[in-house]
Amino acid sequence: MNSVLIPAAMLIPVIFALAVAIMPAEKARGTALLGMLLGAVPVLGLLFLFDYQNAAAFQFAGSVDWIPEFGLRLSLGIDSVALLLIALTALLGPICVLGSWTAIVERQRLFYSWLLILQTAMLGVFAARDLVVFYICFEFTLLPMFILIGVFGSTNRKIASIKFFLYTFTGSLIALAGLVYVAWYAAGHYGHWTLDIGDLASAARTMSPTQQGWVLAGMLAGFAVKVPLFPLHTWLPLAHTEAPTAGSVILAGVLLKLGTYGIYRFVLGFVPMAVAEHAPMLAVLSIIGIVYAGLICWVQTDVKKLIAYSSVSHLGFCVLGLVAVNATGLSGSILYMLNHGLSTGALFLMIGFMYERYHTRDMGQLGGLASKMPVWSSFMVFFVLASVGLPGLNGFVSEFLCLIGAFQSSSSLVAAGHPGATPGALGPWYAFFAGTGMVVAAMYLLIMVGRVVWGKLVEPHEHHHDDDGSHLPPDLTAREVTALIPLALGCLVFGLWPQPLLGAIEAPVNVAIRSFEFEAPQPTPHPEHAQADAHVGEVAP
Amino acid sequence: MLDTGHMLLTLASDAPAGAAPWWVMLIPALPMVGVVLCTLFAIMGVKSKLPAFATVGCLGLACVLAFAMLLGSDDAPGVVKAWQWFDISWGEGHGQTFSAIFGFYIDRLTILWMLFVTGLATLIGLYASEYMSHDQGQGYCRFFMAFNLFVFSMSCLVMGANMLMLYLGWEGVGLCSYLLIGYFYKKPSAVAAGKKAFIVNRIGDLGLALGVYLTFVHFGTIEYAELFASDQLQGYLTDAAHGHFEHIPAAAQMIPLLLMVGAFGKSAQLPLYVWLPDAMEGPTPVSALIHAATMVTAGVYLVARAYPLFQVSEYALPAVAWIGALTAFLAATIGMAQFDIKRIMAYSTVSQLGYMFAGLGVMTSIGAAAHVFTHAFFKALLFLCCGAVMHGFAGQLDLRKLSGVAKMKGWGIVGITMLIGCLNLVGFPVITSGYWSKDMILAEAFVRPSTGLVGWLLLITAGLTAYYTFRVFFRVFVGPVEYHPGEELHAHDDHAAGHGHSHDHGHAGYDHSHSPEPAHDSAHDEAHGHFHPHAPGWAINTVLVILAALTFVAIPLVALNHGGWVGEMVHGSTAHYEAAHAGGGSHGSVWLVGLDPHQVMYYISAVVGLAGIAVAWALHYRGRREAAHAPAAEAFKRVAGPLQRWAEHKWYVDELYDFLFRNPLWVLSQVFRYIDMLLVDGLVNTAGWLPSALGGRLRRGQHGLLQGYAGSMAGGLALFVVVVLLLVSRSA
Repeated sequence: MNSVLIPAAMLIPVIFALAVAIMPAEKARGTALLGMLLGAVPVLGLLFLFDYQNAAAFQFAGSVDWIPEFGLRLSLGIDSVALLLIALTALLGPICVLGSWTAIVERQRLFYSWLLILQTAMLGVFAARDLVVFYICFEFTLLPMFILIGVFGSTNRKIASIKFFLYTFTGSLIALAGLVYVAWYAAGHYGHWTLDIGDLASAARTMSPTQQGWVLAGMLAGFAVKVPLFPLHTWLPLAHTEAPTAGSVILAGVLLKLGTYGIYRFVLGFVPMAVAEHAPMLAVLSIIGIVYAGLICWVQTDVKKLIAYSSVSHLGFCVLGLVAVNATGLSGSILYMLNHGLSTGALFLMIGFMYERYHTRDMGQLGGLASKMPVWSSFMVFFVLASVGLPGLNGFVSEFLCLIGAFQSSSSLVAAGHPGATPGALGPWYAFFAGTGMVVAAMYLLIMVGRVVWGKLVEPHEHHHDDDGSHLPPDLTAREVTALIPLALGCLVFGLWPQPLLGAIEAPVNVAIRSFEFEAPQPTPHPEHAQADAHVGEVAP
Repeated sequence: MLDTGHMLLTLASDAPAGAAPWWVMLIPALPMVGVVLCTLFAIMGVKSKLPAFATVGCLGLACVLAFAMLLGSDDAPGVVKAWQWFDISWGEGHGQTFSAIFGFYIDRLTILWMLFVTGLATLIGLYASEYMSHDQGQGYCRFFMAFNLFVFSMSCLVMGANMLMLYLGWEGVGLCSYLLIGYFYKKPSAVAAGKKAFIVNRIGDLGLALGVYLTFVHFGTIEYAELFASDQLQGYLTDAAHGHFEHIPAAAQMIPLLLMVGAFGKSAQLPLYVWLPDAMEGPTPVSALIHAATMVTAGVYLVARAYPLFQVSEYALPAVAWIGALTAFLAATIGMAQFDIKRIMAYSTVSQLGYMFAGLGVMTSIGAAAHVFTHAFFKALLFLCCGAVMHGFAGQLDLRKLSGVAKMKGWGIVGITMLIGCLNLVGFPVITSGYWSKDMILAEAFVRPSTGLVGWLLLITAGLTAYYTFRVFFRVFVGPVEYHPGEELHAHDDHAAGHGHSHDHGHAGYDHSHSPEPAHDSAHDEAHGHFHPHAPGWAINTVLVILAALTFVAIPLVALNHGGWVGEMVHGSTAHYEAAHAGGGSHGSVWLVGLDPHQVMYYISAVVGLAGIAVAWALHYRGRREAAHAPAAEAFKRVAGPLQRWAEHKWYVDELYDFLFRNPLWVLSQVFRYIDMLLVDGLVNTAGWLPSALGGRLRRGQHGLLQGYAGSMAGGLALFVVVVLLLVSRSA
């Protein structure tokens, strides 16, 4: 019975997408909203019926055989990590529709159908227990987003959409190569074909370090582009800037998380040895991304581009937490996926609302909106503070945990007898350099707020409302506030009380870190480190 | 480094932590109620003084509870938990759970701090109800919302049960500081000042965060109750007491050095002090409460709270002492040359905070806490007096444009309370609380040979302090009556930003029944014709009198028997630290030609203070006929030459920081931006362009975008191959 919930959550948006496509255009947005809301009902069911005592197990499982000889099955099932990301996706869906309510005036049916289809694809990625489902959904997210950007974007939408598509598609193809190699290896390992993610993970962990290194590289090509990890980030600012508001919200809120989720589920799950070995390099790339993108934000003049680059910077923390491979780092990283979705998604919405009124995102042409749009400004400051990582709001929890994760993750500290240290290849210096990102984030975000929200009122010269017939009032409407309130509440509640989330993901996180308890085979230059690197425990099953 | 022969070190808080009563949680909860109420008022569009009275009510109740906490306190610290904030576990062993409660740790240090925080917040809230009355409506609600939020954050900072709660409060007060400095958000200077405060503080916060991480990694816990009672720390303290710092791991010795960075940021010490003077852009009640009395003492609180951690480091406390003394001296020299009376007070705050740190550094935590306590009252008083002047003279703060204020009708109370505040800041002998608290620090600095230079630096600073404090008093409050109103005479909030003054203080919307006329005319008018000073009303006067009275009440609390009541409070907390001589042992100091500092410092500091006042009198009062010109001072200025000019320009520290840090970073950012636009992206695009160009040659007329981007795939691949090669070469 319960296994119906996931397919229901995935099917409802598709059904409504078809409905939207055949309905009159003026009913498209209402139908889409209904579809998103109804689609969220089974997700609520998932949240309530999930057995949190057994959070590492894949629940609500169900599968359909397709071609059994090749191990092809379609199987679904979620642990608590997937559950939370599904909940985030379901939350952002209706908000996106509300955020596009007046912004999309032409070809509404096209827009909302694809938005709904995108919803299904994203849910599928998180719910997949099977390589086929995962990969199909993973790739299928590209098409709706390609259309959302390419048809409904701003001036450079064509270039942006094509670049987005090809960049990420290329990456995913390489990732596919890596995954297929794992499947092939697993077939040899088990003597029969299987594409079950859990089975593949068990088999993949028995690969040699060199094999794991190659698989790591292959999978990273797909997932690191999605995240995006420096230096593979250059598709993102353009795609974000050109995308319509809903596209940006989904892109930042969920699509980037496909990358980090992929790293969590596949890279950490399949090739722990290679991750342990290359963690420093990945961490260095994340840190470069944090600081480099942060500094670029500082000198941006386009607000949306600034937030886009800030995503690159923020996701660096997320990857850093993942490669710290300890409980704090992984918990922080998973929370980061959720929190970034809430706060950055909200920031893109805010910018969308502003853009609808002023038709510009240039900080030179905008300023002092606090005196004209007090409600908008209050929300803007709030979400910026969440994004800056102010304690008490959600961004802090995850950022703090990612940083302490990187700090702790040092085998030499373990060897020196520090009780709070965990085995790993990072250490205090990584936390320090990543931590400078905190300062940089305060710089660029507060400077942006200082220009756009505070100061003397500046409006674009050619500013007039009635050219698109939307006739929006100067400040936010009830609809727009409705879209923002769930996000704001999420930011506040999970900042002050993250323990429900932390408790929910504790079991899967501990399962994940146990796969890193192996006899470290790699040669280590310093003998005292080598001793520390040899963790107790056995090869995980 | 520590002279162990002369000290007896009792271990701090070895009593196990008990349970604190549940109602202490109301102390942070009440200001939170205030936040919610003010937000509701803002949404409802309340235009009366309701937000102010709601605030005063909530904070007053919190203050009553703080007193109740004092009455109900016993020796053992107590912990009360609201809910579990963090709990991440990866094993059973010690240190394998990262946990932090959202809860509160109550010991006497907490109570001491909360008493003056809630008390002053209530009083200053009352003052602000009148002071901010020009802005009733949304701005008023916004002000009091941030005001309440500040008290909430400060309560979390001070009462927090672990370092993460401290960090929550730490950044929370920073946020409120940011919001309130930028209260007049249409003024670019106010917005810039708020931003600067937040960013500079963030640098400190990074240090604090790393300190918290290291504490966790090394001790396996960040809960105070467990941390301070841990055998590990007690063992280190024993080692430190015997001078065996080599037995203490370097990581443990690093912790205080990291925490210190945070303390220096929040408490405006070298090299992170630059934000505080600019913070004076905020409304004066904010300057008084946040940037003088309470928030800036958070750094002192942090060091006092973590005093056991600081003691186990060989270099931490000496570093604190030196930074404190140097800051005290540097800020005093800048304060001497400023003309804006609020900025002078800001520099004096920096300078006095330096004293407190020096006090901690020379191991008189009692002296430091006593100085925090007395300073809170007299500096709040001084700021509120300046605020009254600003309120009455349309934002005028230039000491060259005001004179003889105390003689004007309705200004008597301000004049007298200002004098009391000044005397306290100077440390006028015997009758002021500032004298007793500062003296403890000065005397202690001379006790240890290693900190004698610190002592001299502080003593010289005491003289400078007396000079610049009474420079303000002699210029502004006495002398011939003369005034020029400030530049915000008729400017309303909406127009305040329009003038672009370099140091206007945003006190817009002056509620004065004058016919509106262009602000510039009035500002440059000789003013007697049009302008009538606006003497303070009952709320402002009441608060000034109460604060002045409190400075006297504080005398017995800090002066009797080595720190008096404050001493007892510190004694029963983690900041407890006792040197053997405090029990009566006396000896001479090589730095004071063999005299015993505890005996003679009372006289020396009195003489130095009086000398400073005398110099101020001679330069700024004697022979001065008008507000703008004091002949003696100008003659002195000519002698001082460039030194005076440099001090007036704050030793060009802001410019130096811009040159050293901001500008290179900005250039680097621009370089990155172009690299990102051209190189990384360009490489991909070039790789995308190549096949299309080739294809174009092969099949003319066929070079679509898609083809180009098919090539960008190849570009991405090329980059990727490099990464792969790196990976493989490493695994080989």
